[in-house]
Amino acid sequence: MNLVRAEWERLATRRFMRLMLVLLVLAFAVTAVTTLVGSHRPSPDEIVAAQQSAAQQRQALEDTFQQCLAAVRGTLPPEEAQDYPPNCSVFDPGQRDRLPVAADHLQGVFTFADQARPLLYFLVAFLVLFGFLVGASYIGADLSTGGVVNLLIWRPRRLAVLGAKLGTLLGALTLLSVLASAAYLGVFWLIGQGAGLPGATGGDFWPGLGLIWLRGLVLVLLAAAAGFALATLGRRTAAALGAVTAYAVVWELGLRVVVEVVGLPRGEDWMLSTYLDAWLTGQARLSDATACRGVSGYCDGNYQIGWGLGLAVLLTLVGVLTMAAFGAFRRRDLS
Amino acid sequence: MSAVIEIEGLRKTFHGPYRSRHVAVDGFDLLVGRGEIHGFLGPNGSGKTTTLRALLGLVRADSGRMRLFGEDVPRAQARVAARVGAIVETPQFFGNFTGHRTLRLLALAGGVPTRRVDEVLAQVGLLDRGEDDVRGYSLGMRQRLAVASALLKEPELLILDEPANGLDPAGIREMRDLMRSLADAGVTVLLSSHILGEIQLICDHVTIVSAGRRVAAGPVAEVLAGHDQHEWLVRVPEPDRAAELLRAAGLAVDERPEHLVVGGVSDAGEVSRLLGEQGLWVRELVPLRPDLESVFLKLTDGGVRDEEAGA
Ligand SMILES: Nc1ncnc2c1ncn2[C@@H]1O[C@H](COP(=O)(O)OP(=O)(O)OP(=O)(O)O)[C@@H](O)[C@H]1O
Ligand SMILES: [Mg+2]
Repeated sequence: MNLVRAEWERLATRRFMRLMLVLLVLAFAVTAVTTLVGSHRPSPDEIVAAQQSAAQQRQALEDTFQQCLAAVRGTLPPEEAQDYPPNCSVFDPGQRDRLPVAADHLQGVFTFADQARPLLYFLVAFLVLFGFLVGASYIGADLSTGGVVNLLIWRPRRLAVLGAKLGTLLGALTLLSVLASAAYLGVFWLIGQGAGLPGATGGDFWPGLGLIWLRGLVLVLLAAAAGFALATLGRRTAAALGAVTAYAVVWELGLRVVVEVVGLPRGEDWMLSTYLDAWLTGQARLSDATACRGVSGYCDGNYQIGWGLGLAVLLTLVGVLTMAAFGAFRRRDLS
Repeated sequence: MSAVIEIEGLRKTFHGPYRSRHVAVDGFDLLVGRGEIHGFLGPNGSGKTTTLRALLGLVRADSGRMRLFGEDVPRAQARVAARVGAIVETPQFFGNFTGHRTLRLLALAGGVPTRRVDEVLAQVGLLDRGEDDVRGYSLGMRQRLAVASALLKEPELLILDEPANGLDPAGIREMRDLMRSLADAGVTVLLSSHILGEIQLICDHVTIVSAGRRVAAGPVAEVLAGHDQHEWLVRVPEPDRAAELLRAAGLAVDERPEHLVVGGVSDAGEVSRLLGEQGLWVRELVPLRPDLESVFLKLTDGGVRDEEAGA
């Protein structure tokens, strides 16, 4: 318990941590202010016009769907029917993520319900980066400056010391994420109320947003643990940054090119970014160019990877890294 | 007197790149009794710091037995840690923290009341710089901070690896006084240093290590006495004739430009009688007692690291 208190204070007084917090607040303030400046309350006329445009668009979607169904039933002239696939579900308005709404047709009006998701993704992206960097530098600086050695002379149980550090880090990040998200969404909600439109925040809007937030939080914690583990394994902050850069360049870029040139099937399955996407958005939609080789007729080669697999892959990776870090730290010679 | 530190047959090999191996500590023994101020001497690279690191559980020994307060370490390290204050080489501290915060965090982690922080800062003379960032400390100030961190938990055993490193003459004296007062309060001190005069001044026991092995150990007076060759400096008007006479009497004589060094003398009166009888009146007769420096240099082969030394 004492250890956690000390670590908490150490973390809170780190200059790097403070710098990142300032950046967070700054980025947050800039987005909020530009949004506020660029938004106005729509007049009744604007709203009516926008509602009409949205209704027209919805009707057009429905018409296409009906055309497709007709093509499948064979009640359409063949030259028109060939534009449609044998399965009409892609055109089904009921299966779309969202239908056009009036807010889509309002210029210069901030609609909270529409913007909440991208805003939240932006916050999550920032927090993931924040978590990784803080995780890596927190232990990295301690290892390279010998602070850990001083601590171990006091508390020789190495796993407990490292565990207290990781635990404090994750706890602090969870708290920070909760506070930052609440403040962030709260401010934009207020902007929507006062200088824009709240939009359709009923139904499963809030539960949906909450789910994204939860997924984002898990990702932030995983990123922090990964940064922490990599820096521990490499004994310095730069090791974590180097490992991620090397992975991104060699694997995500290099291997991707090779896979495309050679034409390997389902190359995306080997990319971590695929599983990140799957976890964060609920499903990664991918297409495999090689699947359609030799297939005549309609073939899009699409396939999905669900969030369950995404989470499993991420958890396994971070779990293995963390265990390796603890194992190495327990045994290694420190000087 | 029970032993506070017992080390038997400690061995540590470092593995370098390309399968190279380096034996840093090679079957080393150390015994430090309660209440001693024990000097730990050895040339550069002889394995002192490595031994202390192993004792503190920072490096893993290949073999050997180590006990602190009678408990096997590293197995019981967590149990005895609270009783041991240590600095190993010049410890590095986080530059962005103040000296005060550095100690406060250690105190928090170790469950020591944080009011101790000001007490130890005062003890090492850093109280007025406690609120400055460690980044801005001089070498000696860092060293003082390190000693303060070791004192924080009011240890029964204080392990100091070159605490005088970077200290000015006044600092060295303060450190000496501090150690004396700690020893008077019953604290056992293990002190590694290259300042042999300092060791001779404050230590009652010493262990000398060379190439990872113990080459001498015991109370300072005994170690010195063990290397006493009973040499006397003799100054006489006719050194050549005197040397002949003394040699004839079976004494070892070394002729120096200004004087003679006569070895194997059990009774100095014998020398003056031998010479006086022949009309050579001794002008000066001084015993040459070995000091720690001469013993150290002799035992460690002039201080040059040698794999065969002590074999
Ligand atoms: N981490 C390490 N990796 C490889 N070799 C090491 C390591 N630490 C120490 N050594 C080697 O072990 C030997 C003993 O080093 P050690 O630091 O114990 O000497 P020392 O007696 O403290 O010397 P000094 O008086 O210079 O402080 C040296 O040859 C050194 O090069
Ligand atoms: Mg040393």
